[in-house]
Amino acid sequence: MQVLTNLFARLRPNSVRTTAKDRMRSMLTYDRLELPAGRLECLEEELMAVVSRYFELDKSTTQFDLQQYDRRASLIANFPLLRSKC
Amino acid sequence: MSGRVIVITSGKGGVGKTTASANLGVALAGTGASVALVDMDIGLRNLDILMGLENRVVYNLVDVIEERCKLRQALVKDKRLPNLSLLPAAQTRDKSAVSADQMKELCKELSTIFEFVLVDSPAGIEQGFQNAVAGAHEAIVICTPEMSSVRDADRIIGLLEARKDEIEQYRLVVNRYRPNMVQANDMMSVEDVLEILSVELLGVVPEDEDIIVSTNKGEPVSGTDNCKSGLAFRNIARRLRGEDVPIMDFSSQNQSWINRIVNFFNPVRV
Ligand SMILES: Nc1ncnc2c1ncn2[C@@H]1O[C@H](COP(=O)(O)OP(=O)(O)OP(=O)(O)O)[C@@H](O)[C@H]1O
Ligand SMILES: [Mg+2]
Repeated sequence: MQVLTNLFARLRPNSVRTTAKDRMRSMLTYDRLELPAGRLECLEEELMAVVSRYFELDKSTTQFDLQQYDRRASLIANFPLLRSKC
Repeated sequence: MSGRVIVITSGKGGVGKTTASANLGVALAGTGASVALVDMDIGLRNLDILMGLENRVVYNLVDVIEERCKLRQALVKDKRLPNLSLLPAAQTRDKSAVSADQMKELCKELSTIFEFVLVDSPAGIEQGFQNAVAGAHEAIVICTPEMSSVRDADRIIGLLEARKDEIEQYRLVVNRYRPNMVQANDMMSVEDVLEILSVELLGVVPEDEDIIVSTNKGEPVSGTDNCKSGLAFRNIARRLRGEDVPIMDFSSQNQSWINRIVNFFNPVRV
């Protein structure tokens, strides 16, 4: 029975293991930067407002995220542009 | 002589610092090195029990620092290994009885007598931890593959990074590892933990009932054969001495042929 459980577990994409890993990764990103919840969203809004003064944005596909590499975080922002505003 | 002072720390309590200290002390002494075990968990003395030396403690670390005795009088020799000694913690004092500078001085003195000085740190990141790392050149960070433990290990790694001038190297030991649960995808694997923490791995110790039995006997598992956690600790000791010992693969033990085939494609290493 354990054999079958293990086999199925490997096929299950959203395993407890992946959930733990994902939660862990985002938790530590915030911990290391001492970044309070909501702060990143606040920055995203402000940045978007600035960029929107110059460009029309495709707001449905913007990407705004923190990524970790070697214990260092980078801010990855991707604002697809439709056209210039002036 | 100038011995290596290695602090064993974790942030989170109860993840196996004292167990690792006792076992690495025995395992290192087993390779012929002279070793001092220093119990820095002042007020919560434990290491003497794991070593089976609780009846031989006369003086303690605070007695040495407050000059009530000589260092050599406070050191308790191991029952089996003459090249292994324990410097016990005080049981009736608290962490403020010692300062970081006093600890540095003490570690320096110990490192003139012993090749390895292993310091068992208390849980937490406050003064007890600060004192325990004060005299160290290297650190072993212990964690279990659980989220709260990994988070605290990350905090400790951050603090060790900030002491780069003193702590030349730190490596991770993953304790209480359960290959079966990892295989069932119910728990983070060693690889997951390493990826998240971006830290060098020193070893993996499996969850093992023998550890509880050995604690009750006062004989650390690394001194006995036929025990997988004991072997894991002996391997860590050899890695500490610079030997290139591969991480063991426990996943194919006690398993059916079909699991072995599955493991062949997706091994779980310990
Ligand atoms: N690999 C293992 N398998 C099974 N039990 C273990 C293992 N490692 C540690 N333990 C058990 O976990 C408990 C806590 O271990 P230990 O006292 O070494 O932790 P600690 O980090 O020193 O705790 P504290 O923070 O209180 O000082 C003990 O009961 C010990 O026997
Ligand atoms: Mg302890």
